[in-house]
Amino acid sequence: MIETLLAGLDAALRIDTFVWISGGLLLGMLMGSLPGFTTSMGMSVLVPISFLVGDPLIGIPFLIGVYKGGIYGGSVPAILISMPGTGASIATVFDGHELTKKGQPRKALEMGLYASVISDLFSDVFTLVMIIPVAAIVLGFGPPEIASVMFLSLVIIAVTSMGPVVKGLLMLCLGVWFGFVGADPFSGMPRYTFGTNELYDGFHLIPMLIGLFALPEIFNAVKEGDISGSSVGRFVGERLRFDELKKSLRTICRSTVIGTGVGLVPGLGQPIAAMMGYIAAKNASKHPENFGKGELDGVAGAEAANNAVNGPTMVPLLTLGIPGDAVTALLLGAFMMQGLRPGPTLLETNGEIVFAILIAMVIANFLFLVLGYISIPLFARVVTIKRSLLIPVTIMLAFSGTYLARSNPFDIVTLIGFGLVGIAARSAKFDVAPMVMGFILGRELEYTFGQTLALAGTDWVRFALTERIGMTAVVLATPIVGVLLGVRMSKFRQRALKGEEA
Amino acid sequence: MSTGDFRPVIWSRFPCDFRGIRLSAILFLVGIVLFRLSVVHAQYPEKPLTLVTPFAAGGSSDLNARVFTSFLSDYLGQAVLIKLVPGQAGQKGTLEAARSAPDGYTLLFTDNYRDQLHKYTFRNDAYDTNRDFVPVARVNYGQIGIIVRAGGIYETWAQLEADARARPGEISMSHSGLWVALFVPMLQLMKDLDLSFKMVPYRGGGPAKAALLAGDADVSMAFPATVVADVEAGLIRVLATAGSERILEGVPSFTEIGLPPTTGYIHRVVMAPTGIAEDRLRVLREAFAQMQGEEAYHRVMTQLGENTEYLDGVDYEAVRIQQSSDYQELAQSLLDQ
Repeated sequence: MIETLLAGLDAALRIDTFVWISGGLLLGMLMGSLPGFTTSMGMSVLVPISFLVGDPLIGIPFLIGVYKGGIYGGSVPAILISMPGTGASIATVFDGHELTKKGQPRKALEMGLYASVISDLFSDVFTLVMIIPVAAIVLGFGPPEIASVMFLSLVIIAVTSMGPVVKGLLMLCLGVWFGFVGADPFSGMPRYTFGTNELYDGFHLIPMLIGLFALPEIFNAVKEGDISGSSVGRFVGERLRFDELKKSLRTICRSTVIGTGVGLVPGLGQPIAAMMGYIAAKNASKHPENFGKGELDGVAGAEAANNAVNGPTMVPLLTLGIPGDAVTALLLGAFMMQGLRPGPTLLETNGEIVFAILIAMVIANFLFLVLGYISIPLFARVVTIKRSLLIPVTIMLAFSGTYLARSNPFDIVTLIGFGLVGIAARSAKFDVAPMVMGFILGRELEYTFGQTLALAGTDWVRFALTERIGMTAVVLATPIVGVLLGVRMSKFRQRALKGEEA
Repeated sequence: MSTGDFRPVIWSRFPCDFRGIRLSAILFLVGIVLFRLSVVHAQYPEKPLTLVTPFAAGGSSDLNARVFTSFLSDYLGQAVLIKLVPGQAGQKGTLEAARSAPDGYTLLFTDNYRDQLHKYTFRNDAYDTNRDFVPVARVNYGQIGIIVRAGGIYETWAQLEADARARPGEISMSHSGLWVALFVPMLQLMKDLDLSFKMVPYRGGGPAKAALLAGDADVSMAFPATVVADVEAGLIRVLATAGSERILEGVPSFTEIGLPPTTGYIHRVVMAPTGIAEDRLRVLREAFAQMQGEEAYHRVMTQLGENTEYLDGVDYEAVRIQQSSDYQELAQSLLDQ
């Protein structure tokens, strides 16, 4: 294996490979930062380029660059204009935009970049070194285990929400309910669609996010009046200090581990990782009451987790030929078009090229750091644009991005609907974050729970006690974890409530 | 006021000849007229075409479309742009194409399930695929295979069938979602052979295969090309493949195990809205026929694990009629249950 690795290193150190990776990263960042233009759409448009260049060491690293850049790029509009560019930056918006409002957009963007690069780098190195040993355990994590972890996550969100518990729970349940709308995944029967075809697929995540987070911001800005001359900030704010990054290193490491784990399981994806990374950061924090009010750790927790997913998704893809989502399915196609057939024999037959691609993926992170570093001051300048110009552009991006995602006019209705929900929630002091979390995790829980029931059949006692001990253990631990975290959080919650009264 | 005075102020600084302006205006108009005329007589297609695909980004149909459109453009002389309109089990995209003008600039990329089966499984009054679309070409097809773990207890289809009869509804079968590529042949198999499996859905073919490898499911289906590496590595065994001929050595065909020869085929087809002018349809069909001579196209598709078994739209129409009646029977038998 060492020889193959060295041969791969030799093959990967090519200037044209780096040029193409950089191109991919730039394109990815651009596409990711355009709301509605998701990473999978961008990559799907660029797949023909990757096979037309004809060289696997150019075509595939190029697409990987788009992938990495896209996942990071989504955080830029999330931080600056409260509009997640892709689903992956869903949790970045919670604290990222608050930092912008506090006049610290540059700090938030830099934290997003460093957290992304550090976690991506470590998860890629992990993938490179551990791809063979880890492949065996990937399959041990099936629907029952995912369902139990989703259940645990929902309980953690419920007990750790700040502010009045009832409000948090209500929003969480509402989010879970929104996730039920649409065709039942097991029978195809429509639920809560009121007889319309438009709701058959349920609510789409992108218009929902833009509606909940961006529209209320726009509404507030307009409501404040006199927007002609002012801008969000006169300056792009301070840069991230080294000690601030150091303080968040624990969070970044934790989220890297979470993201890596999520990436190894086919089909979970970045939005779930980002959410779990964010919740974990909040739970471990000494100041959980600051989350959602512009906490740097929140940005770090979310951004590190979503980028850490990228590398490990290669493990099931390359060793078993299993793509978990649209992006990895496109990469599978790209590999096959280059004559490389992902699966158990790939590392034996084409080990050199595979390791070269994985090494290129590791090196891509350094280019990612440089390109991100150069682009941040430019991106951050957005906040100095006059509101009279910025707001119309934001509105345009909100609507065009919503339409772009699926070319579906009904998504515009979804956008406006959730925009109204967001505005109403804000004026009644309800936090919409638990709602989004409930929406994403609840759908996953329902699906995997349904699969678990189908797998268990009638003899579910035997199933739970002999076949799926992992699932049973997590389910049994859930109330204990819930109570422990709930007790720990209650004092912070009181502190937060006092803070609000004061 | 004489015409001479009617000059914008700024012109007065630059003496100019009015006859010249008049002449150029006439020439300009003549130019426009000629241009319009040339447009009318221009060869179709004179602007990029849009291929509506009712599939999500990243699926095998999306990849197929990306590959063939990038070659087809050379033969049409215009770019072919892909517009992804996923949703409602393919109905959104199909409806969009059905409602577009039949001018040959909007086409639909679909498969036989979306084209002929879904009308029986999803309520829909907005369009009728047989009335609203004409086939341009079948790009290729896929033949499904029944797969099990190589280390498992089933070595032949006969063993699996015997066990399924002994334990109806207990053997679990992973599939990639309702009413698509893996699900439909499984239903047909259960109906025609009077078997019953426990159907467990997964999000796509990848996770369905993972479930089989992990031991969560006992049986699954897959296009043989997607499991070649697993078969070589001794992880997966193919028990039977679709069609009347054997495509893998020693593996029975669906006809041999008692299924009709049409079961388990997915046909990827390009359609045009009904009403398209005959000459434009001919241009499109010829472009597809000519593309079959492109060596690079065959190479990339083969590497992708797909065949390039092209069929002209006229010939595909016959296949379509047969499917329609088969699927109606299948859907009816499910409703009767």
